[in-house]
Amino acid sequence: MSNAQIEIQLIASLVAIACAIPGTFLVLRKMALITDAISHSILPGIVIGFFITHDLSSPLLIILAAASGVITVVLVEFIQKTGLVKEDTAIGLVFPALFSIGIILISQNANDVHLDIDAVLLGELAFAPFDRLIFNELDLGPKSLWIIGTILLITVGLLFAFFKELKVSTFDAGLASALGLSPVVMHYGLMTVSSITTVGAFDAVGAILVIALMIAPAATAYLLTNDLKKMLVLAVLFGVGSAITGYWVAHGLDSSISGSMTTVLGLLFLTVYLFAPSKGLFSVLYRQKQQRIEVSLLTFLLHLGNHEEDETERHVKHLNEHINWQKVKSKSVLDLALKNNMILIDNDIVSLTEKGQHFTTEAIDYIVTNKNSEIENMKDRFFLFRG
Amino acid sequence: MEDKIAVQIDDLTVAYNYKPVLWDIDLSIPEGVLMAIVGPNGAGKSTLIKSILDIINPIAGSVKIYGKPYKKQRSLVAYVPQKGSVDWDFPTTSLDVVMMGTYGSLGWIKRPGQKEKKASLEALEKVGMLAFKNRQISQLSGGQQQRIFLARALVQNAAIYFMDEPFQGVDATTEKAIINILKELRKAGKTVIVVHHDLQTVPEYFDWVTFLNVKKIATGPVKDIFNDDNLTKTYGINYKVSVQQ
Repeated sequence: MSNAQIEIQLIASLVAIACAIPGTFLVLRKMALITDAISHSILPGIVIGFFITHDLSSPLLIILAAASGVITVVLVEFIQKTGLVKEDTAIGLVFPALFSIGIILISQNANDVHLDIDAVLLGELAFAPFDRLIFNELDLGPKSLWIIGTILLITVGLLFAFFKELKVSTFDAGLASALGLSPVVMHYGLMTVSSITTVGAFDAVGAILVIALMIAPAATAYLLTNDLKKMLVLAVLFGVGSAITGYWVAHGLDSSISGSMTTVLGLLFLTVYLFAPSKGLFSVLYRQKQQRIEVSLLTFLLHLGNHEEDETERHVKHLNEHINWQKVKSKSVLDLALKNNMILIDNDIVSLTEKGQHFTTEAIDYIVTNKNSEIENMKDRFFLFRG
Repeated sequence: MEDKIAVQIDDLTVAYNYKPVLWDIDLSIPEGVLMAIVGPNGAGKSTLIKSILDIINPIAGSVKIYGKPYKKQRSLVAYVPQKGSVDWDFPTTSLDVVMMGTYGSLGWIKRPGQKEKKASLEALEKVGMLAFKNRQISQLSGGQQQRIFLARALVQNAAIYFMDEPFQGVDATTEKAIINILKELRKAGKTVIVVHHDLQTVPEYFDWVTFLNVKKIATGPVKDIFNDDNLTKTYGINYKVSVQQ
């Protein structure tokens, strides 16, 4: 690996981490769409900052861009509060307006400004190593590495300092407010960090793909864990993993780095969406199928219990016809009951074992009374009784 | 009953988009009562609690908790919001939600430690949820979620408890368990204020009641003022509840 390659991967990884952290909270706050808005509407801030400083990595530019990000949020909330339109409509009104101001500013001054729309939309990570920070003739590395590194340090610092406040205001803003942990401050703090991160990541991945880096790792992590801290860690790992994999995919295909990173993120999400252990699509389908069989099992056991005296009602063949099930279903229900020692089959006559009777009583009791204590010990074995 | 006033509300008016939802409320809640706030949908019951707790800014009037503004008395007050007001798919456990109750006394930045954890476990035990401490909150039933919320308020160890419809969507057992805990709180000298929907249970559960419908209709001991006259004034239609006294 050349030096430049390492630098690009390092920048991409830092960008991914800096995005995944606020992204996690945005996903939990159901504000994914607002990142879309912010990433577009910081454009006028960037352009104006660029006109003033003529330097894409000037701190002033970052401050102006972050300010226009926060203005976006304020405008969206203002329009929403009028009660005339809903939040999504308000977002859809605000960010194109601000974005187009930026576009007009760029195109009007295109002659003397070295800032083109493609770079703004898609970013260009490959050029990042060329723009270097030189101090006293000493090469300190790419400028974007310093920018995103600083942003990341601030983000991580804030996360550690205000983790508890962020958590409670995300979960229950009313409580946070009653406790005196101002959810409004947290809200605008998060919005400011998101805006600043977006600007920092902008250079590397552009306005459109930064959204993917914020949302996709968090959304993927959300499917895999029930713990906020683990979700943050997973989101960071997914972000970094996709950034590095994406770089090598781009390298192999000789294609856009940011495009490849986003594609990897998308594929990662798809994989987890399909195969996640408890929230994944296949796992949900499997659980639903199990639940169906278990409901049938209960129906079947209840039938057996109701006809203890009458052997003809408990004949294997008769059950097929009587309960009106197809052969496959009958078989899987019989198998499940046998496997759990709930029935005995003697000469094709089915009867309940003591365990089967017990199970039936408990289950019916639960269904009638809805008392959770009744089924605590059954939850581990039967999907039917899990939420 | 002592004459000490726990919550004093004067001329409180709250509006959403300039439409008043609470109009000129004067209300004194004595210390040590277990009070129900009743009224039809849209009467402003939740709004009243939220404006006492400074979650909503009133356009007029003042609220005093033991004679001082809420901002200075936060540590004396615990709040149980409506169960539906939060996202139960949030990635966290029962214990962690209860621990959130300690965040107020911790203040900014400081993290909960062993002391807070111990208090939270005790609160979980009190509501009969200790066995579920590591359960992810989306895996809890409605009644269990409500108990978790109650435990979170208990851990605040406050003097005044505000609860927004704690009996909504819970089974009979949980309802009994919750009301027993509320009665215990009152016995310990705490003041408990509950937004309540089921008029039938008011005389059994509460000793104090406030009728609210945008304006305050009446407030006082259940045995004196919980009658058809006030119910009709509050709910508009001719309300008949047989009140056994």
